Amino acid sequence: MTKAAPLVFEDLSVGDEIPELVRGPLLEPHLMRWSATIENWHRIHYDQRFTVEHDKLPALLVNGSWKQHFMVQVVRQWAEPEGWLRSIGFQFRAMDTVGSTLTAWGRIAELAEEGGYGNVKLEIGIRNQEGQQSTPGTATVVLPLRGGPAVPYPFPAS
Amino acid sequence: MTVLTDEHRALIGVESEPRTSALPVSEELLRRFVHGVMEPDPVHWDHEVAAASKYGELVAPPLFPMNSMRRAPGGPDPMDRLKDDPEDDGRLGGNPNGLPPLDLPFKRLLNAGTEAEFFQLAKIGDVITVRAKYLDISERQSRDGSPMVIVRVQTTYTNQHGDVLAKTTSSLIHR
Repeated sequence: MTKAAPLVFEDLSVGDEIPELVRGPLLEPHLMRWSATIENWHRIHYDQRFTVEHDKLPALLVNGSWKQHFMVQVVRQWAEPEGWLRSIGFQFRAMDTVGSTLTAWGRIAELAEEGGYGNVKLEIGIRNQEGQQSTPGTATVVLPLRGGPAVPYPFPAS
Repeated sequence: MTVLTDEHRALIGVESEPRTSALPVSEELLRRFVHGVMEPDPVHWDHEVAAASKYGELVAPPLFPMNSMRRAPGGPDPMDRLKDDPEDDGRLGGNPNGLPPLDLPFKRLLNAGTEAEFFQLAKIGDVITVRAKYLDISERQSRDGSPMVIVRVQTTYTNQHGDVLAKTTSSLIHR
């Protein structure tokens, strides 16, 4: 992806926000498309009657399996190509229902040099159009130091 | 009330047999995937961009291996289950991680979260193998005092050369 300038570890500060990604409103066709993409036929993502009457849920749910890729996307669109998304973790704390517009966000929480590279720890999350957070988490990105070697790919197991 | 037995706890550390995807990763599968997931990075579909990237060729998004185990062509139709139970929740009795099932007296299963580590991205032609392991099985009380069981499953994804692509740990709540 094209960006104004390459990412360098030394240019970053704790508290910096990375560009957000917005998707939605996520309507029934989006959920149906994702369910069909991954061949997961769990009805709470496309069958309104089953979801409300049988499972007593308020509405069709945006798939957690979709939201986890969304979290990866927001980090990588900022980190690539110089950086490597080394790890990510998040909790599905709240339901996101059909019709939501979701924003994935990230903010630099810690910066540390390790083994000749820069480790960037980010707080990440997804919020809906009401500002409610559903998916708090963290991610670690490895970046080159200024004038230092590129981050190796494949990334070695520690 | 205690739900977990020694038999449940004996499953901690147990690994599934390795399971290998029915077909290699194809450009067509990747095309459908990037549409469904609304992927912004052309390294996943544009051959020129991919060739000029550190990957050198089309690659799949990092968590793609989590969705790579597809039903093989032919074989019994899991939707036959709907003849006996039209109100099946659509998971069709599937056991997605291949681990021995936990026999628990709960109806609800919630996906509480995921942790993942990435080493390399799957490529067109890769044949992905997954192996799952019960990392932990523990019992807690939910807010209303009823018991719930938290299961942590680690899954390792490898390609046909045995390279580890990613490892994920999913937390599942039975209640």
